[in-house]
Amino acid sequence: MGPDGAPGPSVPWQKVLWERQPFPDNYVDQRFLEELRRNEGIRQYRYWTVVKEAGFVGQQLSCVAIFISLWLYMEQGLLSPETLLWSSLVCALLGYGLYQSLSSQVESGCEPRTRLADLQSAAIFLSFTFGFSPVLKTLTESVSTDTVYAMSAIMLLAHLVSFPYTHPSPPGSLSLNAALFASVCLASRLPGALHTFAMLSCALMVFALWPCLLQRVRDIAPTHFTGVCLGVCVGGVGGLGLQSPGGAVLLALALGSVTLLCPLLLVRLQRHKDNIQGPWDEAEIHEDLDHGRGT
Amino acid sequence: MVLKIFFPQCCNRADSGLLVGRWISGHDSAVVLAVIHYPFIPGQVKQYIQQMQAQSGVELSVLGSWSLPKEGQEGMESFLRDLSTIFPQERWLQIKRQMGKTGFTCEILNRDQSGKAAQQDSIKKKKKVKIEEDYQHDDSDNKKQQEKKKEKIEEDDQHDDSDNKKKQEKKKEEEEGEEEEKVIFVHYEQRKVMLSQLHPIENGVPDPKTEPPSELRQVFQTVARSQPLFFLDRYDDGPLKSTHWQSEGREASIIMELLKQASVPLCLLISWLLSVWTWICNVRIFSLYPLRFLSSKLSTCVQLSYRTEHLRTLSSAKPATGHTEFMRKSNILVSFLIDVALGLLLISWLYRDDHIRMLANTLVPAADHVAKELEELLQWLMGAPAGLKMNRALDQVLGRFFLYHIHLWISYIHLMSPFIEGILWYGGLSACLGLTFALSLLSDMVALLTFHIYCFYVYGARLYCLKIYGLSSLWRLFRGKKWNVLRQRVDSCSYDLDQLFIGTLLFTILLFLLPTTALYYLVFTLLRLGVVLFQGILHLSVDFINSFPLFAMGLRICRSYRLGGISHFHIVHHTIFVQQMSFKVTLKQRRSSTISFCLQCIKLHREVNVL
Amino acid sequence: MGQRRRSAVKAPSSPSVSAAGEVARVPHKKHKICMVSDFFYPNMGGVESHIYQLSQCLIEKGHKVVIATHAYGRRKGVRYLTNGLKVYYLPLQVMYNQSTSTTVFHSLPLLRCVFVREGITVVHAHSSFSAMAHDALFHAKTMGLNTVFTDHSLFGFADVSSVLTNKLLTVSLCDTNHIVCVSYTSKENTVLRAALNPEIVSVIPNAVDPTDFTPDPSQRQDDTITIVVISRLVYRKGTDLLGGIIPELCLKHPDLHFLIGGEGPKRIVLEEVREKYQLHDRVRLLGALEHKDVRGVLVQGHIFLNTSLTEAFCMAIVEGASCGLQVVSTRVGGIPEVLPDDLITLCEPTVRSLCAGLETVIAKQRSGSVPSPASIHAKVRNLYTWRNVAERTEKVYDRVAGEEVLPLDRRLQRLRTHCGPVAGSIFALFAVMDFLFVLLLQWLVPDRFMDMAVDATGPQGLWRQEKSRKDSAIN
Repeated sequence: MGPDGAPGPSVPWQKVLWERQPFPDNYVDQRFLEELRRNEGIRQYRYWTVVKEAGFVGQQLSCVAIFISLWLYMEQGLLSPETLLWSSLVCALLGYGLYQSLSSQVESGCEPRTRLADLQSAAIFLSFTFGFSPVLKTLTESVSTDTVYAMSAIMLLAHLVSFPYTHPSPPGSLSLNAALFASVCLASRLPGALHTFAMLSCALMVFALWPCLLQRVRDIAPTHFTGVCLGVCVGGVGGLGLQSPGGAVLLALALGSVTLLCPLLLVRLQRHKDNIQGPWDEAEIHEDLDHGRGT
Repeated sequence: MVLKIFFPQCCNRADSGLLVGRWISGHDSAVVLAVIHYPFIPGQVKQYIQQMQAQSGVELSVLGSWSLPKEGQEGMESFLRDLSTIFPQERWLQIKRQMGKTGFTCEILNRDQSGKAAQQDSIKKKKKVKIEEDYQHDDSDNKKQQEKKKEKIEEDDQHDDSDNKKKQEKKKEEEEGEEEEKVIFVHYEQRKVMLSQLHPIENGVPDPKTEPPSELRQVFQTVARSQPLFFLDRYDDGPLKSTHWQSEGREASIIMELLKQASVPLCLLISWLLSVWTWICNVRIFSLYPLRFLSSKLSTCVQLSYRTEHLRTLSSAKPATGHTEFMRKSNILVSFLIDVALGLLLISWLYRDDHIRMLANTLVPAADHVAKELEELLQWLMGAPAGLKMNRALDQVLGRFFLYHIHLWISYIHLMSPFIEGILWYGGLSACLGLTFALSLLSDMVALLTFHIYCFYVYGARLYCLKIYGLSSLWRLFRGKKWNVLRQRVDSCSYDLDQLFIGTLLFTILLFLLPTTALYYLVFTLLRLGVVLFQGILHLSVDFINSFPLFAMGLRICRSYRLGGISHFHIVHHTIFVQQMSFKVTLKQRRSSTISFCLQCIKLHREVNVL
Repeated sequence: MGQRRRSAVKAPSSPSVSAAGEVARVPHKKHKICMVSDFFYPNMGGVESHIYQLSQCLIEKGHKVVIATHAYGRRKGVRYLTNGLKVYYLPLQVMYNQSTSTTVFHSLPLLRCVFVREGITVVHAHSSFSAMAHDALFHAKTMGLNTVFTDHSLFGFADVSSVLTNKLLTVSLCDTNHIVCVSYTSKENTVLRAALNPEIVSVIPNAVDPTDFTPDPSQRQDDTITIVVISRLVYRKGTDLLGGIIPELCLKHPDLHFLIGGEGPKRIVLEEVREKYQLHDRVRLLGALEHKDVRGVLVQGHIFLNTSLTEAFCMAIVEGASCGLQVVSTRVGGIPEVLPDDLITLCEPTVRSLCAGLETVIAKQRSGSVPSPASIHAKVRNLYTWRNVAERTEKVYDRVAGEEVLPLDRRLQRLRTHCGPVAGSIFALFAVMDFLFVLLLQWLVPDRFMDMAVDATGPQGLWRQEKSRKDSAIN
């Protein structure tokens, strides 16, 4: 049954190999490629949904901007460390209250942390930061300021790139560490040990605790989430604007492109998507193969 | 088949007489060991040979006769031939030499008188000699008998005396119908062959029961073992006179003998002293941990135990079992003697002209100077060394720490300075035990005097190591990974918030402090390296003296044959030089047997090879 | 370069053919085939055994076959295998996974030498993972030789790497005379990937030597049920699925045993499962198996399990069935085409589905309602034979020999129109450079000055003649 052999199409062609069929080897049946599927399971995006989701990226960008502007205030002596500490404390307490109230509505989560554990964590944060702040203050003394700035910038960029935007609740190791590294670098350039302490606690709140709260808000109250994001963005632009108007413009542009332009591109380009699927595709394993089942 | 006769060169000019030697069983060859001169009484000869046989364990026998007729000694030949009846042998060799001619003539007489001469004239090329067989062994006496005879050849040597068997004995090659027999006459130098120590055959060779050792090996063994035969001196007034290798340095050997006698009580004394010393060393207090550790670190103690071991080997009552053992012992002895001699030289220099005091007076200022230099180095490090930006606080802390150490050290040195001369004086005495002791002591003193550098190095290295270790694990935490000890790989891991926070804090701190620590580590490692280099040179020279095989070197230069350098086997006018793996055969007629003999020589030579 | 081909075909071996291109299907025409692939003995695997067995059967049919592959360690130069199968181990640099690196041009002198010396008429390249095969196709087309390509694997369209490789495949296959695939699914895949005319793609399945895989029920332990798995332990073979199946089934059936042959990075998954559920006595990991040992393992089992996530043509299940085992497999790739429904139980590639499939087979096995191993073997024995494969491949050669090889201008045009403006232009440039390179080589060493190799196989094959002479001498 070589190619172009004598056709004897009295029997229907079957897509099987085990039977010797009266068709040439290169026979092409009507059913050729009938199992081909195109763009199977493709998601159709709506513009405003995507914009809402992108809002998270924008607000994280703004968070970084807020932190930087706080640092600028501190460095120029416009903001005293005591003020920052007190306001941080108030914010933290408020946030904690909100967090708790939101979690009581959910009643989910595998192992709820006790208040004691939270208190313990807080104590560790504060005591370590406080204890280390004199050391940290002298840490970058001999390093040139440019180096420190460059390092901080790279680290903050790494934070933004590696931030787990889908599940920010246990913050990703790399993103959090990069942000903390950058804040230690920046804080060590401040004039006093108390400044450093205040800056670090502020960094902890902005980079570690705030995403957790925001995640919860997104889960529980999606409508408020958009408002919160918008608020943070406006706060970031405004805060930076008071110090450097140029920076504020840049930030606003970046926010605009991230939240408005990129989703537009995504939705537009989605139309041109042409994906082919068929029986030749490698099967995907969807199940959770953690080997934790049974026992 | 070829008959090979190994003939000692020293007997070339011996007076006529009897050939004493051995038939090598299994091979058709004979080794001539000595010539017993005419006149002799046959009974005494037999007695002498039995006596020698008992002493050496070699199956000695009278092989035949040797004649080198001088003027007025005509008619000797027939007499010598008649001797074969007195010394019953299966085969009787008659080797003749004419005065003034270089050739040898060899005749072989079979026991039954039927054999005819096998002549070899070495001036011409080797000649095949027909053995006329009057006595035709009946051909029907078939192979069974042959088999029997093969076995009997082995027994042959043991029952030398029993005559009745001999009649039947015939060499198998004669029965094989080849009626010609060749004789190869091989000269050997008796002294060299005797003294060449053959190495034992390596394991690859099957055990001697199934396969007798090779022919040449047996020759070597025979000659080496029949040493008692050579004690018979030329000047002895015995009933027998013989020619063989004789030691020229008679007097020296007497001294050697005396020395040997004297060394016995010396050895006893040394071993007694050693046992006392060992007992002291084994007292329990010395095996306590700190002392044991200390003694393993001090090179003087190490050298002491090393020498003790050497002396124990030297003074042991057992004689050296093999050649290697002997070589080792003599090497130890020579290196020990040289060591002591060098040590005495050193002492003579030290205690002359008050060199000790001079040394002591320069030592303390030198130590001071080193300390001062170190202090300056530290001051430099505490500033901005080479323009590097160090963490000022840590720099100060480390610098002060090390400075305090140096301060401690200087006060220690000054405390010690009155005693240093005494220490040196007594330490210098140790040189009488050998130069190695003095060197080891020097090395120990250097170690003690540079203890501060060692301390700095250890602190620096420990700190640096901790820092690197911490940084590597915190870097993994930074990336959200951790080291899985069970799997020996890096796994991803989700850390808690507080873990991440503290980890990053520490990581940042360690990262910024790393250059400072690394610089301190680098500087002190370089210092330490200098000290280690100096000590290494000292240890190297000590080890060199301890283990250089001086005796073997001397032997190699002066008496290389003792190490199996070159042995000449001289087939009369067909010379074979056996040298390191190469051989030269100048044979016009390459007979297979001769070549196989050459090959055997080479094979043997590998066995003989040096150490 | 058509004249080059004609002169090669005009060898005295085929007197019935007057000129190539006119006589399309002369049944007794003998070809001079060069198989090219990076994968050949001493490497072992599906492609390697395919090339070897196909070559042997073609030699049996009187064709001349030589194989070109890259040097494996110290195995380089020319070697002869059984029946005078000549193998050129060319000194080309191996880059990754036994595949050579390609610079398109550097292999040309060597390959031209092989093609000219052996008087090759058809170049048959194997495996799309083999850079050397693609190089050989490219050069063969430049030299005016007919080309055939066999694709042994499936490839997706989803990720970036597949986009690139598919482009390369398009370039490589757009002017290849004929393509062979091992299953209909593979054909669909290849046609889509390389944007081919399906008429020039033949489906010729792989084969299994049935005499190597005979059942032996005495090796089984009757008080237990043993599931045999033989595959490399990698993601594509579904080792993760296997790791999910084992504990589930072992907990339900205390008399169930697993026998797993093969080695790979995913072995750790199975070892973890074994440790976690204390199954050391019931799950045996045999490690890497040699081909000759496979049958000995297969006959110890009752059920053969295949958990592949993608497969063009699964030889393992044919081997399992040939040994008389009940086969359970995932329904992926070309697997549904391979065995009739009464010999195989197909499941979806999920743990649940596979467990359900296995349970029905286990239940059948317990009730004794499964056909005997001998009857299964009898059914499978004649499904896939190398002789059949060779016959069908021979027809492909017959057809190809009658086709013309595109001259350079039309080849360039085809590349440009078929492969898109960018890649097409680039490779058109390559084709021109290749052509110039061939001209240069022909100027340096003209074909007529090259030594012609002595035919070991083929119509004038000395190997066979000598052998037959020997045989006649014996008779």
